[in-house]
Formats: sequence, structure tokens, C-alpha cells
Amino acid sequence: MSCELYKSEIYAWRPGSDAASFQPMFDHLACCPECARLFEELTASDRSLQRTFQNFPESPYLENRILTGLAHQRAQKATRRPTWKFWMFVPVFASLLLVFLLGIAPRLQQARLNREVATLLSTPPALQIDSTDRNQLLAWSAAKLESSSTLPAELSRVEFRGAAVVTIANHKAVYLKMKNERRASLLIVDARLTRQNGFHSMHENSGTASLWSDGRRTYVLLFNGSDQEMEAYMAKMGIAA
Amino acid sequence: MQISDQIFDDWVRQYHRLLYGIAYWWTGSRSDAEELTQEAFFQAYRSRSGLRDIEAVKAWLVGILRHCYAQMSRKGHGKIEVSLDEMRDEFGDFNPAAISAPDMSQALALHQSLDRLDERHRLPIVLFYFQDLSYREIAEALELPIGTVMSRLSRAREMLQKSLTTQHKLEIVKKVKRS
Repeated sequence: MSCELYKSEIYAWRPGSDAASFQPMFDHLACCPECARLFEELTASDRSLQRTFQNFPESPYLENRILTGLAHQRAQKATRRPTWKFWMFVPVFASLLLVFLLGIAPRLQQARLNREVATLLSTPPALQIDSTDRNQLLAWSAAKLESSSTLPAELSRVEFRGAAVVTIANHKAVYLKMKNERRASLLIVDARLTRQNGFHSMHENSGTASLWSDGRRTYVLLFNGSDQEMEAYMAKMGIAA
Repeated sequence: MQISDQIFDDWVRQYHRLLYGIAYWWTGSRSDAEELTQEAFFQAYRSRSGLRDIEAVKAWLVGILRHCYAQMSRKGHGKIEVSLDEMRDEFGDFNPAAISAPDMSQALALHQSLDRLDERHRLPIVLFYFQDLSYREIAEALELPIGTVMSRLSRAREMLQKSLTTQHKLEIVKKVKRS
């Protein structure tokens, strides 16, 4: 091999290179003074160049500038992230909502209706009672009116078959159905009778009414019949209004 | 690979001087080198999940620096000529006493010699001399086969030596003429 070919090897060699692959070059250097001199010059020049390469102007603020720039980038990214995430999840939320509306919501609604119907069937409405027990009816009425359960003496012979809570001119009232006369019913209003608190507008077309007060409550006897028939009923039951 | 902000900041502290030095010898300008180094770290931060081997972080960062340098070159940045006055300005700002006149003269000669090399020879020769990177590290940073790196370096060293020798001879001739 000629010196020219070894020169490329001399330029390729560096400290730490694989010794075995450069062994032919070192063998040549041992017997070629010209190439050995080139090798020595190149090695010396490399050391000088390495020193020269280390002479460059320092930049004392560079590290700080980079770290500050990175912190700024991170802060910007942190503010952008929620918007990006929100829009990314919109299709997911929309799909879930669609599945819910089409599949789960009708079932849930049906289940809720079933529960409510079962509740209605198992317990009577709180504002109505069907009973023929006079004491029970009067106690229930008193609870709704939040007052005494006793009736005036003139109503002592009257029996009832049911009651319901109503509101008359913003006053609590109880509507009781008579047991012994289906045409008759009694309205107990938790208010005193005054000239303004009239019940004329409540008269049925084919019926009549009689009302009186004990100073605390107002009692209205409603009768689906003529005045004579009502008076006959009142006389029979001992009601003296 | 998950790289935390803390780890990345440590890399900035550890490698910013290396990248800056390489960029300085590639561009011949302190301000361009600072801009390149900063941009390289910003790009590295954005693409840090692409780092496959944490042990190869140095070569990875140098590779990104090379991309940034290529972008800068395409945009027409970077110095073409370096004068002795500019060298004095660049060194003089921070530590005027640190660089002796012969060193500065050598640095200028080196700048001019590097400037005469084409890019495919200048880039590996800086990595070779400045940071003493291994052939493998240079090959990874420049994304070249190791054999190509070895042949380019061999050629670059030869061209650099000849250029420096020629300049040295010209300096002697100038001195003789002045005297």
C-alpha cells in the first residue's frame, strides 16, 4: 500500500480508535519516516486546534434566557390546555348523551312511573279519606284544619262516609259527605262568618245551602234538592242552623 | 418517553454551553450562536417525547441544533466573513484579559479556515475538535452512517490542516513585508 493510501488512515485516526483496525497504519509509520512525521505534526496540530476551539466568547445570560423562555412556553401551554381538552371531549359527551336519551332514559322513566303508581295504590291520598268511622273522620278533619275535632251539638246525629281537604277563599276547609243522606254534604271552613264571606256563588243550580257559624268556624250544609227537602232533612237530623 | 420539566431544565444547565460553543464555531457569530442554542432547546422541549434513549441526549440535542442551523442557513442568516475587529468585539465584551493576542489570531485563522470548508465538512469537524464527540455520537447527531462520518472527517481534517498552513505562511509573508 502506498503512502497516499495511508494518509487517509492517518487523518481518520483519533485517540481511542480501534487499535486493531489501524494496526497496518502503525506498522507503516514504523517503517516510513515521512508518514511518521505527518502523523506527529497532525497529532500536535490536533492538540493546538482543540485548545483554540475552547476559546470562544462566553454567554453568561444564555442559560437564564433559555430557562425563562421555557417557563413562558409552559405557562402558555397551561392556559391553552383546558380549551383544547374541552373541545376534544365534546364528541364523547355528545355520544354519551345520545346513548342515554335513546336507551337508558325511557327505561328510567318507566321505572319511575311504576314506582309512583305502586306508591299511589299502596297509600291513599293525604288530602282525602274514605271512612264511615265518625271519630276517625273528625280527627282527620281536625288535623287538616289544625283545630278541635268536636262538632257543634246540632250536628251530633250526623254520620259521614268520607272527607276531602279544600280551600275556600284562601281558607282551609274540609268537605264531608253525609252517610245517611247522599244528597247532603257539610263544608267546615276554618274562618268566621262575616258579611263579606258569603257562599251564594257556591249554590248548585239544583240545590240549596244553609250556613251558620260558631264564632270560630263556619258550617255550610249543602243539599242537592229543594229548600223544603233540605229543611225536612235538617229537622230529621236535629240540625238547627 | 416521559421527560419531566425538572429533568429538561437540568439538561439546559448541563448542555447549553456545549451547544452554544458548537453553534458559535458553526456560525462564527456570538449572537447567532445564542439564537441557535435557544431555538434548539425550545424545539427539543417541544419534541422531547421523541427521545428514545436518554443516554443519547447529547447527540440528540446536537442533532436538533443542526436542524436549527439548517433552518437558519435557509433563511439567509449567519455570517459569511469574520474580521479581527469583530473577534475582538465578541471576546472583549466579557473577559478581555482571558484571550491573548496569539490565541485571538489563531481563533481568527480557524474561523476563516472553517468558513472555507463546505457545510458537510465543517459540521463534523467542529463536533470532532470542539467537544471530542465520538464517531458514533457525530454520526447520530448528523444522521449519517458512521463510515461516511469517518471519511468526511478524514477529508475535513486534511483540508483544515492545509488551509491553516497556507494562512500561517501568508501571515509570515505579511510580517516580512511590513518589516
